[in-house]
Amino acid sequence: MDQSAFAIFAAIVTSIVLEAAPFLLLGSLLSSVIAVYVGDEALARLGQKSLPAQIGLGLCAGLLLPTCECGVVPVTRRLIKKGVPAGAAIPFMLAAPVVNPVSLAATWVAFQGDLSMVAGRVALVVLPAAALGWALGAIKGPDLLRPTLEMAHEAHAEGCGCGCGHDHSRGRKRPGLAQGLLEVLRGTGREFLDMGLFLIIGSCAAGLFKVFLPQEWLSLVSANLWLAVPAMMLLAVLMSICSEADAFVAASLSMFPRPALLAFLALGPMLDLKLIPALASVFQRRVALVLIIAPAVGVYMLAMSLGLAGVFK
Amino acid sequence: MSALATFKATLQDRVDGLCLLCLGWFMAALARSGLYWYFLNPKFSPLTLGAGVLLCLTGLGLLLRPMPGRASTMRLWRQAALLAFLSLAATAWGQAANEPLPGALNPAASENAALAPEDEAPVDLRPVRDGKDYVRLNLAELYIMLDKGRTDYPERFALRAVVSRTPQLDGRGHVLLKRTAVVCCLADSMELSFVTRGQGLGDLKSGDWVEVFGHLTPLASKGEDKGLVKAAPKGEGPSLSLTNPKFRIEAEAVVPIKGPDFPYLFEFREQAPFAW
Repeated sequence: MDQSAFAIFAAIVTSIVLEAAPFLLLGSLLSSVIAVYVGDEALARLGQKSLPAQIGLGLCAGLLLPTCECGVVPVTRRLIKKGVPAGAAIPFMLAAPVVNPVSLAATWVAFQGDLSMVAGRVALVVLPAAALGWALGAIKGPDLLRPTLEMAHEAHAEGCGCGCGHDHSRGRKRPGLAQGLLEVLRGTGREFLDMGLFLIIGSCAAGLFKVFLPQEWLSLVSANLWLAVPAMMLLAVLMSICSEADAFVAASLSMFPRPALLAFLALGPMLDLKLIPALASVFQRRVALVLIIAPAVGVYMLAMSLGLAGVFK
Repeated sequence: MSALATFKATLQDRVDGLCLLCLGWFMAALARSGLYWYFLNPKFSPLTLGAGVLLCLTGLGLLLRPMPGRASTMRLWRQAALLAFLSLAATAWGQAANEPLPGALNPAASENAALAPEDEAPVDLRPVRDGKDYVRLNLAELYIMLDKGRTDYPERFALRAVVSRTPQLDGRGHVLLKRTAVVCCLADSMELSFVTRGQGLGDLKSGDWVEVFGHLTPLASKGEDKGLVKAAPKGEGPSLSLTNPKFRIEAEAVVPIKGPDFPYLFEFREQAPFAW
């Protein structure tokens, strides 16, 4: 890498981390607040609902807990550890970065009030998210989360270093305001550091691709639907743009057919270079593999179906 | 437990706190600096500042009220990764500080340059030149309107841009006018451009800043226009390069200017008054 390429790489990595850090911090704060203040019973009660109800709640939860993909993994991990069933947590993790007011408004604005693009994006995210919620819904929390994950704060703050995936704070007395605030701050910091590692790794990977990806291939593949859809999906993974900003980039790539743009908009929030290491570190290997592969397959099939059916020109 | 033993037991939390404090300070300082625009859209600076302050608070929480905990490989990795990122970010900040501003890119051109229009107050958003009415807008605003198939863009307009020349375009009597548009951060930036021809472009060099008064004409898919857009140079910087494939700018007048304070475009409006 020459000096100019290194300068670009450093600037891109810095800008991606700085862009994502406030949202990751928000996710960590939310996770910490849930850990300290939200009773286990309220969330665990979700497990008594039927699987379709769990999936429905998970898909819509983003409207109440708006978060982008930068911060959704720590929140999901915390929810699972608090007893939220996989049938609700997995659809929430996959859908919330898109099915939230900010992302929906950004898509609407970027595509000049074109509601079909907003609806198409939601559909391409909700369907794979619901399907994965259905498929993984029966798995219990400890079998979902990686037991070997040495999230450092779990070694002391919650009283156990076993890393078994259980939340050992259950039954603990709820703290007072000052003590609770301190716990929230410390928990937020630790959670941020845990997930920040994967944000930095993902940003470096995205920076390398931005520096070395030849731009000419974009114009070569845009004319052919069979190439355009996978190319835009690959671009979504490599560029790792925040789900609240990606619509503007997609709108600028108007040489691509709309199904390819929808594939870009749907896959990026579920799978990118920031998320892959985070998913691999938080979830059991098989679950992580499913979470990485299945959304890509689902989005590809749906986008190609739309394109071949001529629904989106 | 002795004080030393307590200190050792809580060392990992203290190091975590110090890492967070460093990152928080960096974010807050960058948000308050004049170089924030180099990395992110300035509208996000309050968000970065707020996140920096909150990170400092979380860092202080760990630094001043640490809990005993053991060192682990994962912990060391994340501390090392954060410190490596901070080194990289400090390098990028240093590079941004040393990068010449647009007005200083070509001192010779700047000496003869007219004042940048933003130096004149108030800016006339509907200038008249040689008896013709123009509308000032920025290149990204024009590009976005065309991209969306809008037909209500100003018939005659004035916009600021950087000139880019290549032997291929020179041979066909054109130059490229470009601007970098940033929606959120440098990673999603786009270098938008138009092929341009007309009077007053011949003496310009790549990197010169100009204000161009002109109008659009469609590019034909065959004949002398064939392959013109493909001959446009692709940027070597961090941005995605896009040259408008359907229209060219016909320059009616070209005025050399000093570059704007921020060379990137951060605001895009789709109707008058434009952000220009």
